[in-house]
Amino acid sequence: MTPKPLGTPKAEFLAGVRQALGRADVPPTEPYPRLTDTTSELEVQAIEVRRRLAANLPALLDQLADMAAKGGWNVHRASGTEEAVGQIETIVKESGATNIVRSAQEVFDQVPVDAALANQGTKVTTVIKDHDNPREALREEIRQSGVGITGADYALAETGTLVVLPRKGLSRLVSLVPPVHIALVRAEDLLETLDDLFLLRRLEYHQQGGEMGSYLNFITGPSRTADIEMTIVEGVHGPKEVHMIILG
Amino acid sequence: MEVTSLTQNPSISADLYVTCIIDQLYPEVGVSAVKVLRRMGVTVGFPKDQTCCGQPVYNTGFNNQARVLAKRVLEQFRDSEYVVVPSGSCAATIRVFYLELFADDPGLLAEAKALASKTYEFSEFLVNVLNIEDASVFGAAHQGSVTYHPSCHLLRELGIKTEPMKLLSTVPGLEKKELEGAEICCGFGGTFSVKFPHISEGMVSDKIANVQASGASTLVACDMSCLMNMGGALNRQGSDIKVRHLAQILDADSD
Amino acid sequence: MPEIKTQDFSAASVAAIQNPKLRRALDRVASGFEVARLDRVAEATPKVWEDWKQQARDIKAHTNEHLDYYLDLLHTNVTAAGGQLHFAKDADQANEIVAHIARTRNVKIATKSKSMVSEELALNPVLESIGVEVWETDLGEYIIQLAEETPSHLVAPALHKSKEDVAELFSEKLGIPYDEDIYHMAATAREVLRDKFMEADLGISGANFVVAETGTLVIITNEGNGRLSTSAPRIHIGITGMEKVIPSLQDLSIFLRLLPRSATGQRITSYVSMTTGPRRSDDEDGPEEFHLVLVDNGRSRMLADPNLREALYCIRCGACLNICPVYARIGGHAYGWVYPGPIGAVVSPMLVGLKQAKELPQASSLCGACREVCPIKIDIPRMLLDLRNKTAESPDRNLRSASKSERALAGLYVKLMGSPRLLGMAVWFANLLQKMERILPFSHLTKDRKWIKKSLVPPLSKWTRSRDLPALPKRTFHDIWKKDLSRDDS
Repeated sequence: MTPKPLGTPKAEFLAGVRQALGRADVPPTEPYPRLTDTTSELEVQAIEVRRRLAANLPALLDQLADMAAKGGWNVHRASGTEEAVGQIETIVKESGATNIVRSAQEVFDQVPVDAALANQGTKVTTVIKDHDNPREALREEIRQSGVGITGADYALAETGTLVVLPRKGLSRLVSLVPPVHIALVRAEDLLETLDDLFLLRRLEYHQQGGEMGSYLNFITGPSRTADIEMTIVEGVHGPKEVHMIILG
Repeated sequence: MEVTSLTQNPSISADLYVTCIIDQLYPEVGVSAVKVLRRMGVTVGFPKDQTCCGQPVYNTGFNNQARVLAKRVLEQFRDSEYVVVPSGSCAATIRVFYLELFADDPGLLAEAKALASKTYEFSEFLVNVLNIEDASVFGAAHQGSVTYHPSCHLLRELGIKTEPMKLLSTVPGLEKKELEGAEICCGFGGTFSVKFPHISEGMVSDKIANVQASGASTLVACDMSCLMNMGGALNRQGSDIKVRHLAQILDADSD
Repeated sequence: MPEIKTQDFSAASVAAIQNPKLRRALDRVASGFEVARLDRVAEATPKVWEDWKQQARDIKAHTNEHLDYYLDLLHTNVTAAGGQLHFAKDADQANEIVAHIARTRNVKIATKSKSMVSEELALNPVLESIGVEVWETDLGEYIIQLAEETPSHLVAPALHKSKEDVAELFSEKLGIPYDEDIYHMAATAREVLRDKFMEADLGISGANFVVAETGTLVIITNEGNGRLSTSAPRIHIGITGMEKVIPSLQDLSIFLRLLPRSATGQRITSYVSMTTGPRRSDDEDGPEEFHLVLVDNGRSRMLADPNLREALYCIRCGACLNICPVYARIGGHAYGWVYPGPIGAVVSPMLVGLKQAKELPQASSLCGACREVCPIKIDIPRMLLDLRNKTAESPDRNLRSASKSERALAGLYVKLMGSPRLLGMAVWFANLLQKMERILPFSHLTKDRKWIKKSLVPPLSKWTRSRDLPALPKRTFHDIWKKDLSRDDS
């Protein structure tokens, strides 16, 4: 049952807008280009995006590293998973955290952090709801933890941005509440531009019949403010320290 | 806008729109403008019934009143080959704002467009129509340092960015001094200066502080309205810095 | 709606100018944001920057021209995503909607991330009156909430406050020792608000953009409070103006390139958060309910006016504030209502009523710097002139409010300038008065007779407060031309 809308009924509100525009119900005279893309057209464009990526991968990874650093990430290049694990161990140790949380993404199958961190006495909680781990308990874990680790859904070379799509196994709060956030980025997560990212999201949206998940987050650097005398302070409400480990 | 380039010895006629502020308060600037143009062989005309372009009234929202004065300008310069205006704001009024004023009258709009197409600000006319690249042709020299303030309408309504400096920087003997915050408004804004004097005063005081800091002995601009504002403030402070219109710098007979 | 003080502009701006502390604060802002913005423009290159601006403007122009279509599409897609879109014709209705949701969902605590529209609605007192504890979480908004003030800038609401001000405020309101270390103060805010984020039942945000294609709300932030407010509570309400809609997700690229650079000189902000409906059943966290409140509140007036419609293209970056020499001297509060600076001088009068705010469009030298920096190429000076024209000559008595003396002065000026003969007589008379200055105290000429030091006649008297006036020369240019120049003797 659709709840009764509050406020002005849609028909009335839109009639008012039309009146302001001085015309009757007339949709755009020319279809807006981006709203007429068919799914197959988007698929073709997506293939081109992938091709361009494959052709320029090393250069784009370098661009990602460069722009991420400019954006405030601590950037680490890891040639292999062992190196990545080592980097994570170091970061966690230096943070002094005894409890950390991580998401339940595929990348952790390749990069086995749990054992390594357990070895140095750190408790690792994977934030995925199940019978033993109800949402409230997990939320408390996140609040108490000193580091949050996630993978990436995408990483944008243009802006040095980590893109996460919260869903099952990927909490919104893991990359937000703990004071330190580590992001593991694989070469296959890479995209070149903002346009590429939005193309792929639109493709998914239309392929899934109008569904692309509840949330999408861009993260570029630590949390910041300049609200007091224009002085930049990091770690206001979000993480103070963010690390991007680029595999490859 | 179509700009016709001509050689150094053109046989062209240009009518001077002298602007009411120069006419009434700074006639010597008009004299310099005429001399500079004549030196380049331009036949200078002066439609004698000209007065104000209507800008002060337009800027205060009295468009109907402004149209009365604008129509006079359309009429007086209808037969001109070129109209040269030693003021960025007045040239902008004619070339840009008249098109707004007459937007609802097709006949007058056509006239306004015709006038706009042949109206030039002074420095623009020298550089883009007479094709002058080196100011030494004027026979003028200037001993001393000069700093240049680009007035807002000149810069942003007419897009005239390089022409004045092109001329100034080739005047023999002239030493250029950088003006900090050059593109910041001097605070005149016409009636703004007396409607909100406290704000205007603040703006002009910042501007002349920068002028003084430049180390120049003369402040040059293409608008007497700005120079009246800055000059009036400088004089009140007891400053020795002179203010001059570009035409006066280029005029061999003027200091 | 919050208290309207636009009619006090003159007095407020004079007071602001006489406040050296405010000046120092404003200098910091202008130099900080604008310098960084220029770096970004140079880095992008002027040609690319210009291209981006034109694309953005084209999108906004198209969308507003078909606003009904896109609002309808947005409604469809927000609903399909499991959210609810509510249309509010005015501030009261918008507040009613939010209050109703809060009441019926038993909301006790609400966290807010920055929303200028919620300032426009004066939402907080309405929620507080029904027993909701409202916490502003953006550091600048938190500061002004404690200070019981309104924001003075679109992007940095508390920029008018020095660190000493904030230290004193925290000490007084939070009962902590006075500490003017900026890092400590930010840490204090983090501490205080941490629990609130987690305890809140309701998170309220604004929206930088809402995407019709997918029903998505987009916020562009730096602090993390936006993410926390839209992720932790069980209800998320987004409130924004109806003009914030853009057609497609693809359009976001261009705005994400322009907005951070124009606002703070960043290539991109720390966070861009996009909400499409409530959490899905499998999500680890996120609100169970998503509401979007789209507000008119007078925006259709701008939509209906072809001269003023482009005011709706504004993406609230604040670049025009940062470059404006008037704002740089008087700050945001002098404008007397929610939206300050050049864009505020158009939007505030259109939303509160032109008569009540008629000074705002007058208080500009029309220098055009705002238009130059606007990422959507909005022609603010044109709109200021249009508002001045409405004040002077509108047939609508609700708009026309120029004083009798102004109208008389304009009429007199045109009469004189319309007749060279009359003008000549007037000038002759003025010259006479100037000669008699020793007898009549109308002017104070310098010895060299070149300058007038003081005039008692308004408006000239306002000029001579701080500047000398040129004295009338012996001859006009007309005279000189007639006598000396009309023969070409070069």
